[in-house]
Amino acid sequence: MRELTGGRLLRRSIGRHRGRLLGGVLLLCGHQSAEALVPVMIGVIIDQAVGTGEVLALLWWVFVLCVLFASLTTFWRFGARNVVVAMQRETHQLRIEVVTRVLDPRGHRTGMRAGEVLQVGTSDAERAATVMHAGSMGAAAVVALAVSAVSLLAIDVPLGLAVLVGVPVLVAGLQLLSPLLTRRAAAAQETAGETTALATDLVRGVRALRGIGALGSAADTYRASSRTTLRATLRAATTNGVYLGITAAVSGLFLAAVAGFAGWLALDGRISVGELITVVGLAQFIAEPVRLLGSAGQMVANARASADRLVRVLTAPAVLTPGTRGDVPAGGVRLREVTYRSLAGLSLDLAPDETVGVLGYDQRDCDALLDLLSGTVPAGEYTGRVEVGGVPLAELDLDASRAAVLVEQHDVALFEGTVRSNLHAGADRPRETVEAAVAAAAADDIPFDHAVTDRGTTLSGGQRQRVGLARALAAGPRVLVLHEPTTAVDAVTEERVAHGIARLRAGASTLLVTASPALLAVADRVLVLDGGRITATGTHAELSDSDDRYRAAVLR
Amino acid sequence: MLWAEVRRLPWLGVATLATAVAASAGGLVAPWVLGAMIDDIAGGADHGDVVLAAVVIAVAALSTGLLTGVSAALLSRLGETVLARLRERVLDRTLHLPATTLDRVGAGDLLSRVGDDVSAVTTALVTTGPQLVSALLTIVLTAGGLFALDWRLGLAGLVAGPMYVLAVRWYLPRSGPFYARERVAIGERAQAMVSSLQSGATVRAYRLEAAHTAEVNERSRVAMDLSIGVFRLFTRLVGRLNRAELVGLAAILVCGFLLVRADLVTVGATTAAALYFHRLFNPVGAVVLEFDEIQSAGASLARLVGVAELERPRPPAVVREPADSGLELTGVAHRYDDGPLVLDDVSVRIAPGERLAVVGATGAGKSTLAGIAAGLLDPAAGAVCLGGVPVGELDRGRHVAMLSQEVHVFSGPLVADLRLAKRDATECEVDQALALVGATAWVRALPDGLDTVVGESAHRLTAAQAQQLALARLVLADPTVAILDEATAEAGSAGARELERAAAAATKGRTTLIVAHRLTQAELADRVLVLEHGRVVETGTHADLVEAGGRYAELWRSWTGAGR
Repeated sequence: MRELTGGRLLRRSIGRHRGRLLGGVLLLCGHQSAEALVPVMIGVIIDQAVGTGEVLALLWWVFVLCVLFASLTTFWRFGARNVVVAMQRETHQLRIEVVTRVLDPRGHRTGMRAGEVLQVGTSDAERAATVMHAGSMGAAAVVALAVSAVSLLAIDVPLGLAVLVGVPVLVAGLQLLSPLLTRRAAAAQETAGETTALATDLVRGVRALRGIGALGSAADTYRASSRTTLRATLRAATTNGVYLGITAAVSGLFLAAVAGFAGWLALDGRISVGELITVVGLAQFIAEPVRLLGSAGQMVANARASADRLVRVLTAPAVLTPGTRGDVPAGGVRLREVTYRSLAGLSLDLAPDETVGVLGYDQRDCDALLDLLSGTVPAGEYTGRVEVGGVPLAELDLDASRAAVLVEQHDVALFEGTVRSNLHAGADRPRETVEAAVAAAAADDIPFDHAVTDRGTTLSGGQRQRVGLARALAAGPRVLVLHEPTTAVDAVTEERVAHGIARLRAGASTLLVTASPALLAVADRVLVLDGGRITATGTHAELSDSDDRYRAAVLR
Repeated sequence: MLWAEVRRLPWLGVATLATAVAASAGGLVAPWVLGAMIDDIAGGADHGDVVLAAVVIAVAALSTGLLTGVSAALLSRLGETVLARLRERVLDRTLHLPATTLDRVGAGDLLSRVGDDVSAVTTALVTTGPQLVSALLTIVLTAGGLFALDWRLGLAGLVAGPMYVLAVRWYLPRSGPFYARERVAIGERAQAMVSSLQSGATVRAYRLEAAHTAEVNERSRVAMDLSIGVFRLFTRLVGRLNRAELVGLAAILVCGFLLVRADLVTVGATTAAALYFHRLFNPVGAVVLEFDEIQSAGASLARLVGVAELERPRPPAVVREPADSGLELTGVAHRYDDGPLVLDDVSVRIAPGERLAVVGATGAGKSTLAGIAAGLLDPAAGAVCLGGVPVGELDRGRHVAMLSQEVHVFSGPLVADLRLAKRDATECEVDQALALVGATAWVRALPDGLDTVVGESAHRLTAAQAQQLALARLVLADPTVAILDEATAEAGSAGARELERAAAAATKGRTTLIVAHRLTQAELADRVLVLEHGRVVETGTHADLVEAGGRYAELWRSWTGAGR
């Protein structure tokens, strides 16, 4: 298969909907031709009916006008619908492709932050699909120009040529002004965006402002920013006014020239009065398809830029190459001589029925250990052995490794839904399991039906942390790794949580990466992680009696 | 309210209107002259007449161009100036909303007002507004031009009017709810995507990829179907508009035919009328098609005006000065709405310069007590006095400062963030404040030092740095009373202790109430108050309470991990 590029992605988009698009484009071409014929028809009716006074001619040509409008409206209705449906479907398909790729359990190396990926999945998907709109618009504009050209040349060749050359030259000339216009408008939009961002930022921090009595100075800061924006928008408005004025003047002057030329010919009897009207009408009409062509080009360029970003996500290589073993025979974790980032020859054992505390003096050691255990580090990036239940982690398939080891991070991410839906985490767990987990996490004060917004903002920090802990406990993995699960919880509750974890996880493997004495005290053993390796082992009581540095780190 | 703002700029308003009308009128010259030219040709004119006609059109084009430019610029100037004043007022009122109103309305609603609504109105004003004004003027003046040609031709053109009105009246009631549903669906789709993408690690850890992809798929499909449905409806509206165009155009041509036959008007006049009507297609389309946007901008505008018209909370009628910096709470009780009592008969006096720590389990009422002590929350019962003066009669912002649990880093240069607390703070004062809270080292290490742009989308500070920054702001605000309710979010006790030291330094010499999330904060305080279910159960020094062997002693034992 050829490698996907931005251009190929756009071609693929069009190819996926070619039937619908072809129909749509043909209909839209018909529509544009009909639009071009409206001024022609006005001229014909004036010429053939109004000028002659023949009733039959009038009836006939009005009938033709009705047919023209009927086809014009029908063509557009079904043509535009086809194009829009194709565009919407393609946007949807691209969006799902992005989400599927990004959520792939093997991870992705896009080098993009979550916000950027979101941008790609929403606006870039939409913009890439507009290539269909641009294409159909361009095709229709070309057809309209052709129809107009034929009509004009049929009336008078020199006059027709003058109009057909003059209009594109005019439109192109006006386009020369547009970079300045775009730049000013972009500058204005940017400052306006900054002012809006400042407003939302200040409102987000309103409690902090009120707390220190800074509401007045905040309002002043905003006023200054608002005035800067006003100046920028006024500059843009002036430029825009100049542009509009020049456009109006130039197109009016062109009309005057065409009218003069055509009038001269009519006076000489080379064209009829009706043809004069047609020429003037068409001279005004064809500016529209020429402009459409210009903006279609612009849209294709934008679509292309978005397609490039989409390709970056869709073709991003996977981080992991998982193994194939689908079963984990036992619990427990074994690390032998592991070197990874700040870890330097770390060896660590966690028996299948043991709760072990890990106190790291350096946060980087803890982060490296957590990343290793979460199975997101590719085998090539570390040396040494990481085994789960006696099997090297790298030999397991992703489903098995993730079922065996669960790492719940310090900053808990909850999902939109209810407390209950978060506790079940997509699985259907028995009620008793969930209730026991909730009790152990001291989260029983939070109603199960409490609505949770994305990121859990409807809950307090402490509630969020306890729901996350309960979720991890309810999942009941063979090996559970918890990272500082009680930082947002008060001392009294922390004590309850510590005993709850110990009780619920009795007989299973649990690793507590924490500096909380309450948690370390319930661990069977505590390992001290220093300089990338284990430097001391013992119970919390032993270590706090014998080791001064340990005492200083945990006893608060 | 808007009108009042416009009236503050009377000359600008008048000039805008005058140039806009003149510019639209200029557009009528060309078809008129063309009609006359056709009659001249039929009546046997010479080449000079044709040239004259062309010259008239050219002169009209030049002046129309000039007027169009000036009127567009003036219109933007008027609209933008009014909008700038409006948004400033909206933000001012929003910031000054009472804390309880703020909680009730919710940050989401206010954010969408100062953010989305302002953007919607701005866009409407910049792009749609000028178009709409010129389209409306063109319609009115062209209709006038039709009647000026011949009243019968004018009437014939007017036949299309009711059809346009009917088309819009058919469309609006159908499209409004449709658009609303589409917006909701798009919002839900975005929500599902944000949630899946931002929490990717958790999604993978719990093997929720399939479920989340399915969710996004489902919501995206719903939004897509609605968007297609909305467009279908729109194409039917366009069909109705085309019908109105046809009827109007045919009516003018037929009427012109009859009038020419009866020798009442000339062929040229009929031509001009048909060209006038053809010229109306685009502006009428624009007015109808922008209707939705105008409606939604109108709704946003109404939401803005609603905020702007709020009264600013009045400062106390007589501002009294406190006798000293002692803070006294007497018989304070509180409940939220009709909920249970969260505080019940709490009385405590904090002597000038004394540091009181409040200890209790989650939900004991600590944060409520802090809010009431800071004067940000009105208690349901009881009183709060500073130096013998009720807090309601003080210039509160000058005497009392509170740091809440929500730490916020304001986007922008770091020094601007700090100067929010004290506008005219010198660099030296800023440095001193940072040094006091122990932030000098990391601030110096920032790429641009004090001028480093921090915040959500720029340099992100850690939770601990953000808290130090909040403490530095407190130092600059220099209140006599400090209320601290910031949770030490920092993992690990080393970082937390550093923050405790910073808090102690920042509040030194001030009357301080500190909500102790960690008991070491209580240990450092002069006195400890233990809250349980909204009631005071113990007060005393740390040593006394540990000695007494009550509730606090129990907490302290479990906290230090001793006795196990």
